[in-house]
Amino acid sequence: MTNASALPAVSVRNARKSFGDKVVLHDVSLQIMPGEVVSMIGPSGAGKSTLLRCMTLLDRFDSATFSYGDLVVCSPNEQGHAVYSPEGTQESHNRFGIVFQNYNLFPHFTVMQNITDAPIVVQGRSRDEVEAEARELLERVDLTEHANKVPCELSGGQQQRVAIARALAMNPDVIYFDEATSALDPKLTADMQRIIRELASNGMAVGIVTHEMGFAKLVSDRIAFLFDGEIAEEGPAEQVIDHPRDPRTQRFLSQAED
Amino acid sequence: MITMLAQGYVVSLLVFSLTLLGSIPLGIVVAHGRLSRFAPIRLITQLYISIIRGTPLMLQMFAVFFMPFYVFGIKTGAGFKFIACIIAFIINYTAYFAEIYRSGIQSMPKGQYEAAQVLGYSRSQTFFRIILPQVIKRILPAMGNEIITLVKDTSLAFSVGVAEMFTESKALVASQRTMVPFMIAAAIYWVTCLLIEFCLSRAEKKLGYYHD
Ligand SMILES: Nc1ncnc2c1ncn2[C@@H]1O[C@H](COP(=O)(O)OP(=O)(O)OP(=O)(O)O)[C@@H](O)[C@H]1O
Ligand SMILES: [Mg+2]
Repeated sequence: MTNASALPAVSVRNARKSFGDKVVLHDVSLQIMPGEVVSMIGPSGAGKSTLLRCMTLLDRFDSATFSYGDLVVCSPNEQGHAVYSPEGTQESHNRFGIVFQNYNLFPHFTVMQNITDAPIVVQGRSRDEVEAEARELLERVDLTEHANKVPCELSGGQQQRVAIARALAMNPDVIYFDEATSALDPKLTADMQRIIRELASNGMAVGIVTHEMGFAKLVSDRIAFLFDGEIAEEGPAEQVIDHPRDPRTQRFLSQAED
Repeated sequence: MITMLAQGYVVSLLVFSLTLLGSIPLGIVVAHGRLSRFAPIRLITQLYISIIRGTPLMLQMFAVFFMPFYVFGIKTGAGFKFIACIIAFIINYTAYFAEIYRSGIQSMPKGQYEAAQVLGYSRSQTFFRIILPQVIKRILPAMGNEIITLVKDTSLAFSVGVAEMFTESKALVASQRTMVPFMIAAAIYWVTCLLIEFCLSRAEKKLGYYHD
């Protein structure tokens, strides 16, 4: 029991990534425990998106020890190059979900189809079961009456909630948000905070990339501050935001205030 | 007169529908070759498309028609002209359709592929469930133009002696010394195109339930 809960939902250790000569991730390590909300903040170009893309397998680490729970996605060989296991890569899509910055909903599918298609087609689950679950998800994100609309008929905030439901329908252990609140007004940001905290209290690991320090502080348990491809500082949300220890974090936060 | 034109029309429709049946799916295959990460495949399909679009369909039809005899020394039966005609039409229209598919596929935002990949869709599932349906909506007008052109291009089958509607009407004009068969044939081509345009606009409306 203690052993199982001590296993991070996602773990990245000693991750490196370059584009050509440019080193973008430089020995980055990050873990998210079940039920924990971790935000990644940092200046533009720090490597947040790159880290997120690698963690969602849209891109690959050059080197890393990377796993979802007990599922090893990649580990370094003797030369230190990341070797991805095909099974780990395949199975990882059942372990995480992501809400993209611009949602990337499937415009030709209804809200319901957006949520149910992958569980049915990819996971091979029965349509009845998946649709019943989707209706519960829609209720949780307050979209019940929009099930049969297509995404273009919904507002941005509603589309984002469809994207959340779509990710959750795969029953992941980890859910990522890319710029969770950049397009939302204060009311929707508050809703978002509630939804994320609710997910975490149900044991979901949540990873967030954001530019909004206020939101990060409110919603996160832990914050990792990324600077030039390194995690410059990491700790409890309030500490990193209110009492940063690293001079780079201090400078970044004082600039962010004006 | 009407029965002859009607028989010709049936042949024209046969050329038309067999061509579409062959080139609409083949166009997708060639478009993928054109977008392949494998350079030789990309170059071969590019060359094929370039040659087909740069030479007359009638010449292509003759090439297919005479190829078995002059290249392989095979004597072909009387039925071959129809087969040669269909093959040439399919080869020709596949090239045009492939270019339309390619532009449609390239116009798709990367985010759609990424969303599908993250959800674990395989490459073929991504293409057939997510990409192709949206591509069809985007390319429908361009495909419509080609399909309308094909209606009229079927008359080129005349050149290898396939007795389609234009062939029949020309024979009738010669034997009966009147323009009427041409006028009837023209009317039939026109109505056929109108019918197709109607179907296309219906299809466009049906796909108009969303925009992106
Ligand atoms: N595909 C790529 N090819 C080459 N360089 C890239 C690529 N993607 C990102 N980079 C570079 O990697 C660095 C990190 O970029 P990344 O997008 O991860 O930063 P970020 O922290 O997300 O910044 P922002 O806050 O502006 O979104 C930048 O210098 C960027 O120019
Ligand atoms: Mg970014």
